[in-house]
Amino acid sequence: MGPLYPQELLNPEYNLLIGFLIGIGFGFILEATGFTNTRKLAGVFYGYDATVIKTFFTAAVTAMIGLFLMHHWGMIDIYKTFYPSTFWIPTLIGGAIMGLGFVIGGFCPGTSLSAASTGKRDAWSFIAGVMIGIFGFIFTYESLWKPLRQSGKLGKVNFPQWLGVREGLFIFIVAVLAVISFVLYQKWQDHWRKKLTDEDLNDLGL
Amino acid sequence: MKKTDKIIIALLLIGGIAAIFYPDTHPYRRVVDRHELLHELMSEGRYVSTDRVAEALMQNDPSLFLVDVRSPEQYKAFTLPGATNIPFDSILSPKYVDILDQDVYNVVLFSNGSRLADQAWLVLRSYDYHGLKVMKGGLNEWYRTILHPAPPASTEVTKEEYDRYLFRKGAMYFFTGIRPAGTSAAPKPAAAPKPAVKHKKKEVTGGCG
Repeated sequence: MGPLYPQELLNPEYNLLIGFLIGIGFGFILEATGFTNTRKLAGVFYGYDATVIKTFFTAAVTAMIGLFLMHHWGMIDIYKTFYPSTFWIPTLIGGAIMGLGFVIGGFCPGTSLSAASTGKRDAWSFIAGVMIGIFGFIFTYESLWKPLRQSGKLGKVNFPQWLGVREGLFIFIVAVLAVISFVLYQKWQDHWRKKLTDEDLNDLGL
Repeated sequence: MKKTDKIIIALLLIGGIAAIFYPDTHPYRRVVDRHELLHELMSEGRYVSTDRVAEALMQNDPSLFLVDVRSPEQYKAFTLPGATNIPFDSILSPKYVDILDQDVYNVVLFSNGSRLADQAWLVLRSYDYHGLKVMKGGLNEWYRTILHPAPPASTEVTKEEYDRYLFRKGAMYFFTGIRPAGTSAAPKPAAAPKPAVKHKKKEVTGGCG
């Protein structure tokens, strides 16, 4: 059956509308789980809050298991979904810059928009910074970044194929790793939380 | 650890364990309707003649994509100009999906006769691949008609048959570089317009070269 849009079972207007509704839902959940609090988000780097890693790892593993099973149940052909080619060098550098922005600003692009909608002024300045970065990159796209963009090309990487294990087994291993990381991170968080007084926690908005 | 954390961990593990019991994923295969397949099999619309293939090759037709379904050894020994080898036993290999499952080229399958190419066509068509053709008679027919064209057997030659013979002689020169014997004189075609019924039996012997 799915995916609907690549098979032209859905016209572009409805595709945008559905994207809009999912986006509202996403922003709502981000706000509801406290992701618009910069100190909560930055807490993942300092160890006093495990919410970010739990949420994103859970989302990734849920999507992985869900897509895999739904493909086998005839609901979505994952070979018709888009996934980009890997260029490991720019991905590594970009990831480091993003992580740095994350720990300094306390937002990721999604949560900054969510926080801006709640009226946080630091989120607005974060968005301004994001825009400067985007336009700066666009105008130097061909002149400055061409060698970097094309370095470390690996093509379309598929981890199970690369490691030579069955897809189902790989999914199981990642799920177990996710659970182990949750438990360990939770312990780390509890260890840090003991050192913080109620006043500290209040100050951090946790 | 909160109760919701425990529930989420349990769900992730259940999902992960369930995934172990499933095989690897493959792209969905579309299956064509059987009645439609039978109809197509009987209609012979999939066949293209060796003359058409020769014509497309001589005109450098960019939409033509020749696929040799014989073994790699046979392919190395002799094949058509520009043909790609996809051995019969690996026609379903994911390597060749991009070539066979597309709608840009006119993919023409061929083998020594029609049979192997026909079987390949049937297997591929049953997965709803489009635009696949079979060169009728295969390389045997290619040899008989293009590489060693025989003059029209009968004295009652139609204009069409005579033109085809001339085309084949041209094609033979194109593919082999050998100038066909009697190109200038062409005695047999010259006899064609005559309504010489009495010579008929004698002339038939010239059929196979």
